[in-house]
Amino acid sequence: MFQPRQSRTEQTHRSALSVTLSVLIVVCAIVAHARPRFPQKSMAENLHGKPLDPFAVSANRVVVLLFVRTDCPISNRYAPLLQKLSEEFRGRAVFWLVYPDRAETASQIKTHLQDYHYSIAALRDTDHALVRRAQATTTPEAAVFDSSGLLLYHGRIDNWYEDFGRSRPAATTHELTDAIASAIAGKPIHPDHANAVGCYISDLK
Amino acid sequence: MKRTAAGQSFIICATSSLIFIVATLYASGPGAAKSANAQNSALTTFTRDIAPIVFRSCAPCHHPGEAGPFSLVTYGDAKSHARQIADVTRKRLMPPWLPSADGLLFAEDVHLSEQDIAQFQKWLDDGLREGDLADLPPVPKFSSTWQLGQPDLVLHAAAPYTIPASGSDVYWNFIFRSPLHSSRFIKAIEIHPGDKRLVHHANLLVDRTQSARRQEESPGSGFASMELQIESESFDPDGHFLFWKPGSPPIVEPPGLALRLDPENDLVLNTHLQPSGKPESVQPTIGIYFTNEPATRFPVLLQIENDRALNIPAGDSNFIVSDAFTLPENVQLLALYPHAHYLCRDMLATARLPDGTEKTLIHIPRWDLNWQAVFRLAQSEPLPRGTTIVMRYRYDNSSDNIANPNNPPQRVTAGNRAVDEMAHLWLQVLPDPQPGQQRDPRMVLQESLARHHIENNPTDFEAHYNLAAMLQARGASDEAVLHYQSALELRPGDAVVENALGAALLSSGKIPGAIKHLSVATAVRPDYFDAHYNLGIALATAEEFARAAQEFAAAAKLKPEDSGAEANLGAAFAELGQNEQAIAHFRRALQLDPKNQLARENLDALQKAP
Repeated sequence: MFQPRQSRTEQTHRSALSVTLSVLIVVCAIVAHARPRFPQKSMAENLHGKPLDPFAVSANRVVVLLFVRTDCPISNRYAPLLQKLSEEFRGRAVFWLVYPDRAETASQIKTHLQDYHYSIAALRDTDHALVRRAQATTTPEAAVFDSSGLLLYHGRIDNWYEDFGRSRPAATTHELTDAIASAIAGKPIHPDHANAVGCYISDLK
Repeated sequence: MKRTAAGQSFIICATSSLIFIVATLYASGPGAAKSANAQNSALTTFTRDIAPIVFRSCAPCHHPGEAGPFSLVTYGDAKSHARQIADVTRKRLMPPWLPSADGLLFAEDVHLSEQDIAQFQKWLDDGLREGDLADLPPVPKFSSTWQLGQPDLVLHAAAPYTIPASGSDVYWNFIFRSPLHSSRFIKAIEIHPGDKRLVHHANLLVDRTQSARRQEESPGSGFASMELQIESESFDPDGHFLFWKPGSPPIVEPPGLALRLDPENDLVLNTHLQPSGKPESVQPTIGIYFTNEPATRFPVLLQIENDRALNIPAGDSNFIVSDAFTLPENVQLLALYPHAHYLCRDMLATARLPDGTEKTLIHIPRWDLNWQAVFRLAQSEPLPRGTTIVMRYRYDNSSDNIANPNNPPQRVTAGNRAVDEMAHLWLQVLPDPQPGQQRDPRMVLQESLARHHIENNPTDFEAHYNLAAMLQARGASDEAVLHYQSALELRPGDAVVENALGAALLSSGKIPGAIKHLSVATAVRPDYFDAHYNLGIALATAEEFARAAQEFAAAAKLKPEDSGAEANLGAAFAELGQNEQAIAHFRRALQLDPKNQLARENLDALQKAP
């Protein structure tokens, strides 16, 4: 009787391992498809609390997502530049401000838009659907998508900040501007990522 | 795609740790519960392990109304910035503390220990647990108004300054007019710079001659300038640092130390402001606390510098500037204020004592202008006469220095603008005079320092001017004249120097020279009271009473409350035989100051005259 029990245990153990392995393969498959080749739903919420997919309403145009936070000082210092870029590329790219902090209410965001003279449309990304789609980790961070919704660039706006509290007098590289211009022109973007400096989105729970 | 690869390895990692946990539970059997408990007590929690560090080292700036951009006073606050906290403490960007541990011990040292830094990392790794509320230390209470209580005098900047939404940092100066009618001694000043998120630091200076007002476009408007130059026409070292940086408490001077404030003095607040992304208005307030105890001990500020050596080629990443000054007096070192602009990377100040030992006073291995500060010693440090203070600053003018204001790098020399450089080390010292010493030890220190500066840099205008002023004050007029002349060669036509040189010539009896220089001073600055007054004296000494009367009249018009100008004007009229006018001015002088000796004696003489 002893022998069969041991063999049964072994059997169970092996099957547990195989389950884990199959999970692993599925995960890898998802990661490999991080660049969506077909439209996918990315629901956020506008400031009236209505669900809104920025890709659905910006169809056939370059989409720029700008991840910001009302209380992130680095993200706030970028406000004049972000507003200026949205004006420069008006008609050629659609800009969205994305607020990933679930704790920031629509009315706080409205005040923030007024204070910082933003006229860019704002979204609350409470489920972090846009955070995931843009692979955003930080505020401020930008993501540029082509007209089919394919992620072309994500990361820092420029190299103004080197680290927290350590900034250049002025940026010397302009990753976001270059990425938007390339996306509009249909040119490839290299590199397609540069680490942003700011407040970590993963700190928001 | 780099991010994809990273994301992939992260997920695999998480999966394999899942396997590991399952395997552990399988293996451990009945012992599992016990071992998990032991692990729990070792887990870092907010209430027991994190709150003591956060309350002590973060919350003083990170609470509502303070400089920190977000609050760190609750579990929720800390949790929602946990990764950032672990990151900035590991990189030693926060709390901002520039000196390394190899120098003296400073009063406000906020640097974190390695253990503290490790705790933040461990808290993150352990899952950001709150812990047992019973472990929570008392939550610190912060005053939202005056930290030292209601001040005796509150002064508001006359006008707010609006910081633009974007652009480079701004250096703005606010002038506070003193409403005092008699001299008072100040025990403490609390600086409220306005919205503290916008103000990096602020430095308050006493302007005894209202010299900064001339830089204002209109009275009260304030003016832009990174560095402040305050004129002083007499030997009157203030000896106090009045510095504000985020989170620093106001300093109450120890017994015997106090700062004198006279009527008509201005207080000038030099602020370093940073655009926030939206237009912001800043209007500072200062609270002054007086004491009835006059100062009995007088510290002095010594500025060691070698700006002349600053000539940094573009691209040079290792440019060294040094200076060494030997103290002519015994002193107690109270505080240090190292200062440079954006190219400086490393600052070292050492003391070579007469017995040959060497001591690091302060070492800043990663200078950052944004966190400049006055570093007060935890305990004063005796530096005997003959000690040599050595400063050695390293500058990086390559494009690797991200703070470099020039892109591409340019050759940089000394100057007051943000794109220029500086190599300054200020020391606040309290002289420890020898018993029976005659001369004011502050004067000995400053004179020796001025001579040192001239040796370093014969074209140092301030050093020549200051040395001359000190020589003049101790009656060495002939040597004073030489240094005023050197200063004037460096700034021809400078009204203040022309006036001082004229006054020195006047007191050494060289009247024609005095008249020449004082006339230039009045021509350059027609509203210069002192120059008109001195010119009047010089002309009267040369017996040119009609012209003297004109100058005294001009002086009296500029300062109608000055009894000296009125009395001298009366004397000039008396010399001209215009007795009625003379009597009127003597009476006016006595109205202004009943104790005016000149007016009293002359009036008596005129009224007794037949």
